[in-house]
Amino acid sequence: MPTNARPTEIAIVGAGPAGMAAAIRLAEAGLRPVVFDLNAIPGGQIYRQLASPQVDARIMGQEYLRGRELLAAFDRAAIDYRPDSRVWWTQREDDGYSLGVLQHGRTQHWQARRLILASGAMERGWPFPGWQLPGVMNAGAAQILLKQGALLPETPPVLAGSGPLLYLLAWQYLRAGRPPQLVLDMASPSSRYIEPLRRPRGAWLGRGYLAKGARMIAALRRAGVPVRRRVDGLQAEGGEAVERVRYRHRGRWHVQSTGLLLGHFGITPEPQLARSLQLAHAWHHSQQCFLPSRGPTLQADESLWIAGDGGGIGGALNAEREGRLAALAVLDTMAENATATPSEEAQALRRARRRDLAARPLLEAMFRLPDDWLSTQPDTTLVCRCESVSRGELESAIAQGGAGPNQLKAFTRCGMGPCQGRQCGESVNRLLAGRLGQSHDAVGYYHIRPPVHSVTLGELATAQQQ
Amino acid sequence: MFRRSERGCAAPRQVTVWLDGQPCQVPDTLSVAAAVLHLHGWQGYRRHHDGSTRAPLCMMGVCQECLISIDGRPNRQGCLEPVYEGMRIERQQGERHAD
Amino acid sequence: MRQDFLIIGGGVVGMAVAYGLARAGQGVTVLDESDDALRASRGNAGLTWVQGKGIGMPRYAELSLDAVRGWSAFARELTERTGIDLQYEQRGGVDLCFDAEEAESRQREYDELQQASPRLAREFEWDYLSRDALLPYLPELGERIHGGTWSPHDGHCNPLYLLRALYAASRALGVEIHPSTPAQALSKADSGFCATTAKGTFTAERIVIAAGLGARTLAPTLGLSGAVAPLRGQILVTERLPALGWLPTPQLRQTASGGVLIGDTHERSGFDKGVTLAMMQAIAAKAVQICPALEATRLVRAWGALRVMTPDGNPLYEASASHPGAYNINCHSGITLASFHASALAEAILNDRLGQQYAAFSGERFHVSA
Repeated sequence: MPTNARPTEIAIVGAGPAGMAAAIRLAEAGLRPVVFDLNAIPGGQIYRQLASPQVDARIMGQEYLRGRELLAAFDRAAIDYRPDSRVWWTQREDDGYSLGVLQHGRTQHWQARRLILASGAMERGWPFPGWQLPGVMNAGAAQILLKQGALLPETPPVLAGSGPLLYLLAWQYLRAGRPPQLVLDMASPSSRYIEPLRRPRGAWLGRGYLAKGARMIAALRRAGVPVRRRVDGLQAEGGEAVERVRYRHRGRWHVQSTGLLLGHFGITPEPQLARSLQLAHAWHHSQQCFLPSRGPTLQADESLWIAGDGGGIGGALNAEREGRLAALAVLDTMAENATATPSEEAQALRRARRRDLAARPLLEAMFRLPDDWLSTQPDTTLVCRCESVSRGELESAIAQGGAGPNQLKAFTRCGMGPCQGRQCGESVNRLLAGRLGQSHDAVGYYHIRPPVHSVTLGELATAQQQ
Repeated sequence: MFRRSERGCAAPRQVTVWLDGQPCQVPDTLSVAAAVLHLHGWQGYRRHHDGSTRAPLCMMGVCQECLISIDGRPNRQGCLEPVYEGMRIERQQGERHAD
Repeated sequence: MRQDFLIIGGGVVGMAVAYGLARAGQGVTVLDESDDALRASRGNAGLTWVQGKGIGMPRYAELSLDAVRGWSAFARELTERTGIDLQYEQRGGVDLCFDAEEAESRQREYDELQQASPRLAREFEWDYLSRDALLPYLPELGERIHGGTWSPHDGHCNPLYLLRALYAASRALGVEIHPSTPAQALSKADSGFCATTAKGTFTAERIVIAAGLGARTLAPTLGLSGAVAPLRGQILVTERLPALGWLPTPQLRQTASGGVLIGDTHERSGFDKGVTLAMMQAIAAKAVQICPALEATRLVRAWGALRVMTPDGNPLYEASASHPGAYNINCHSGITLASFHASALAEAILNDRLGQQYAAFSGERFHVSA
């Protein structure tokens, strides 16, 4: 280990609900964890800007305000909180993990004995014709604009996709007096109505979510916002920017003029740090994505725990619980007389977590995306936005012998751009799995290389002079 | 274009940024990308190396579509950098790229 | 129907030989490892390079010269067959020197090479140019660079597109390629050879081991040399930039897509192909020293790759004495030599003349007792 590394007993990556909760719990036990976060203020995506809210709770909903206590406790606790810090490199060492951290234009080298990854989730990259056009944005991005500065689209948008966030944003726009012009619900219809009936226990546990969803849809309908269900085709069209949206509903294509299409196709764990450490991952059928493999204490490696949506999508409350669970697991490994049985606190958290997560399969079934989507898109549909690689180009490289995601990347540059495959990794896996007749796990994923966040040669070189 | 809502919102502190040489007032809670979407919308945000027009997709540091020049440094992720008084922002129209 | 050749290894060396044999009408099966294998072919910088080759073994420098002379036609042929542009360019290249001492020892090496080979004395063109004299070739070259050796033979290509084109062309010629089918054991069978894999047994009349570091265990079982070891190189690649107008250098080159590939580290790190922070920082600092304009350029990716090095750094070409019909092809310069591997070398294998024509490259040279 280089001598200029800064040592810490425990580092946490991410200051969303999971990272904040973990840090708070560790601080309660007398430790002073280092928390690195990409953003300038804590809260993650869900509680973004909550420290000085820009929008009234009547618009945002009560769930947004729920994070206030957590933010206050995080603010009070003795934590070495480092905002604006990009953990762009990490490596396993004999006694923990090395981290390359970029803060204020300089690279620092940290050495953490233990590491909690709480990097959260991201909206799924879901290719459809024209999704690279200006005027196509993620619904989550539009919500970030709302939280950050009370920004609303000047022209009523079309919302399309599947997932709770789609309806939440539509409802928030409605509450703010600027309802969307159209909502296109693209959940895969076969599972939509059948699944809840097959899972009475899940339906019972998820009744809160179901009721809330039904209230939101009813409010949209009352306001005259058309909600089209079982939409199974989507295209954005225009020259320099989106001018219209084409969608297929009940077997027929329809055209809607709009300058703004807000898409949302579910969320998946932000994979880069866990992948760059080559941690084991497995495809999760219900969540339709890869999840890092974690033990019962959320441990994913010798001295590493993954808490929150970065380990599997469970929502903000679950993330908070997982943060505390990970903190307790860390404390266990540090205790001199560690006991084999979990503490009452841990047991209570686990029970609550199990109860909460039991409702997820129902939600996941309701919002399931069509698995064969990509293979039904036109050849020219971009899969890799950074390098502008289309589905057709990928198909021809597969035909020429591109037999795995890394070889396909080498053959086509798909995934070689600055987003590091975040937007196309899952699509490439799906395409290969379909074409080669292999499981998602057998196909595997890109090798994720550093930097997992942007760093310039100058910023990298400056550390030499420190 | 994204406009600030008048309903139930706090009045933010404003800062002056220079966007493509023009001074503009924006709330200080915004990121650079949010400020540009607020002032000019997504039209003309950025030109990609293949010549296509692009604009921010994710606003949370994932997609790299919001690249923009900040204080003379090109290809910064506009969604990750908060605005500050006197910041110079230039939208990139393709001169950064080889092809 | 039994195949004529079994090729062990689907990297750029194995595929060049497979392509050359298939083009000559042979039935060829290639067994490749998984997507996760070590893959020197996917980690290298893509230089087609004569400078620095064959120091201490002029015959290798001559091969390299032959290879780059054949590269242009080779690239054209692959493009015609597959439609894939290899982005090959031969406008000359520069190997930089950071101080007077390095400049002096470099020139001495090249002089000695030419003294040892009349052919190289005639045909290997190079010149030492000071930093200022290099500016037309390397605009805005850093002021602290002493100079560099320039040679018109040097060039570069996209090594990944070379690999893809070899796959596509080979498949079109009927080569059977089996991905994720690593050979576990090789043996003599009837009048040919047999490779055991998890997906069954493959047989052919003759066998070519082009397994890179995999040769360490596989080659000795057929009386061939496994004397190769990993030598790590770490490489940084930047985001796309406008054309810098630079000739390629081993230290730094701009690719056709605009990204700049940086780094020529040589580290003994066993089979660890990771990157280290200290080395990435050193490479970045050196890059900014060579080309100060890169200071604000973003790094897109850093990776380590393992060179396949013989004890003397020169290629290993040999035919088995104990197992006639088994051949071993191994080198760390699979891009430069690809044109040669696909033509003269494949022909020597086909005619079973490899041992005679390239005797100097046999692994026996490593077994001479002191």
